Amino acid sequence: MDILHLFWNLVPVTLVQGLTYALIALAIMIPFRILSVPDLSSEGVFPLGAAVAAALLSAGAHPLIATACAVAAGFLAGATTAMIHLKFKVHSLLAGILTVTMLWSINLRILGRPNAPIFGIETLYDWISPEILRSLPLQITVAATLAVALVLALWWVLQTDMGLGLRGIGANPQLAPALGVNLVLYTAGGLGLASGISALAGALMAQSQGYADVGMGVGMLVNGLASVIIGEAITGRRTLLRQIAAPVVGAVVYYQLASLALALGLNPSDLKLVTGLFVLLTIGWPVLIGRKVSGAGL
Amino acid sequence: MSSTDARPALTLDALRLTFHPGTPDERVALDGLNLRMNEGDFAVVIGSNGAGKSTMLNAISGALQPDSGRVLFGAQDVTDLPVHRRAGFIGRVFQDPMLGTAPALSIEENLALAQRRGLRRGFRLALGRGNRQRFADLLAPFGLGLETRMGVLAGKLSGGQRQVLALLMAAMQKPRLLLLDEHTAALDPGTAELVMQATRRIVDEGGLTTLMITHNMQHALDTGNRLLALNAGQVRLDLDAQAKAGLTIEALVQRFGASDDQLLRA
Repeated sequence: MDILHLFWNLVPVTLVQGLTYALIALAIMIPFRILSVPDLSSEGVFPLGAAVAAALLSAGAHPLIATACAVAAGFLAGATTAMIHLKFKVHSLLAGILTVTMLWSINLRILGRPNAPIFGIETLYDWISPEILRSLPLQITVAATLAVALVLALWWVLQTDMGLGLRGIGANPQLAPALGVNLVLYTAGGLGLASGISALAGALMAQSQGYADVGMGVGMLVNGLASVIIGEAITGRRTLLRQIAAPVVGAVVYYQLASLALALGLNPSDLKLVTGLFVLLTIGWPVLIGRKVSGAGL
Repeated sequence: MSSTDARPALTLDALRLTFHPGTPDERVALDGLNLRMNEGDFAVVIGSNGAGKSTMLNAISGALQPDSGRVLFGAQDVTDLPVHRRAGFIGRVFQDPMLGTAPALSIEENLALAQRRGLRRGFRLALGRGNRQRFADLLAPFGLGLETRMGVLAGKLSGGQRQVLALLMAAMQKPRLLLLDEHTAALDPGTAELVMQATRRIVDEGGLTTLMITHNMQHALDTGNRLLALNAGQVRLDLDAQAKAGLTIEALVQRFGASDDQLLRA
């Protein structure tokens, strides 16, 4: 079968894509599940990371510095969303939308134009080994290592006293301050952490594809949500590790499913509609079959 | 109880707080309230709805800012400190069992979270081996059987179990003041009795200075060494252990707002 053959050939490429976008899914899970402060900043922070990395690389910065600055910029954007939410008492979703909107202009400023190539400039991948971008197995290894390392790091952090404070805020925002947790600081730190991961994804994506584009964040959010939902259906949420691993597992599966759908003839421009309907269906499923909603959805 | 030598553990100095000032809903909740709590005092607070009991506790914890007046722990003025910065002084249990624990965290994680109350939180694992055992030992005396189920989510516990857990969390890292805000009111009578026993035990063993609001007149008489009655945002009655010992529920109701059916609910 031609169609399945096409899909099969794309599996490794899609795997790299899924493992990279897994970081965005991870960044979406943290506010939703750990902090219970749903945040949509990713859509603007992902291209922010790409823009910062590309601009700095073009200016001659070391790839490591460029990537680190991208992460720092992402952290600031996430913390900004948190401050808008907490200080101006704006709903966190609206605060995120404001951040995304403002980031669009900022990203354009940083890049200087909508699309900036960084061909011929040493990227993080070239710096580690020039072989990486020429070999698919190496790319898969690098992306998988990074995703697993991030999951494990997050797993560890969330079990420390500080991490427990973060989870405490998500679990009971009234109790946590009474136990001495600074709600503003921890929320800003938590959203900052999540956005830092989104920006890292953007910086890496720009360096692997060789350009940054202000529009590269469009749709990332819904894809990320779909990834989180799929992942949680597979791993469950019984333990902290399962909860943290879910977005990564989900992203890998989601992008393969999307690739299969495209191979089967789905028009690429219809993919967002299908993904959106899928997210809706999953969230609305308990309502549709008449079961009491227990807050298991998003 | 002489308060002349030592500084009081807690001083409330002319606390004033008005809700919705300048609107038709304006209500004076605290009207120049004064209170001194000595080290080791266990004061029970009674009063009808709207007397200012919860507002007083909220002003102490920092959840509400008084319009004027001061809150002092020992010599330290904490009036302007936010909740999380005075948390080191205060343990608190709420009326709603949902509020005193974090439902999505396990029993031992709740205790670990409370263990750092008022302390810096760093990158040390919250549940080291020593902690796990210590937490289990802490729970064991209460006979709830929770010490063998430390990994269970607090959200799965019954109301009474949660209030005992919340009490333990509030008493960890010995607070200078324990605030109990009608913490048995949402429980059935049998469970309320169990939680009261746990309360007396925890307060006695820790020698904790405690303020307990209750609507249960029997608990008000049986518990503590001091009885405070609030009305219209002021302390109207302040009985020491001796004066309290001679009281009956009937006398208490007669002396203090017999018209209020809340007070009759013994």
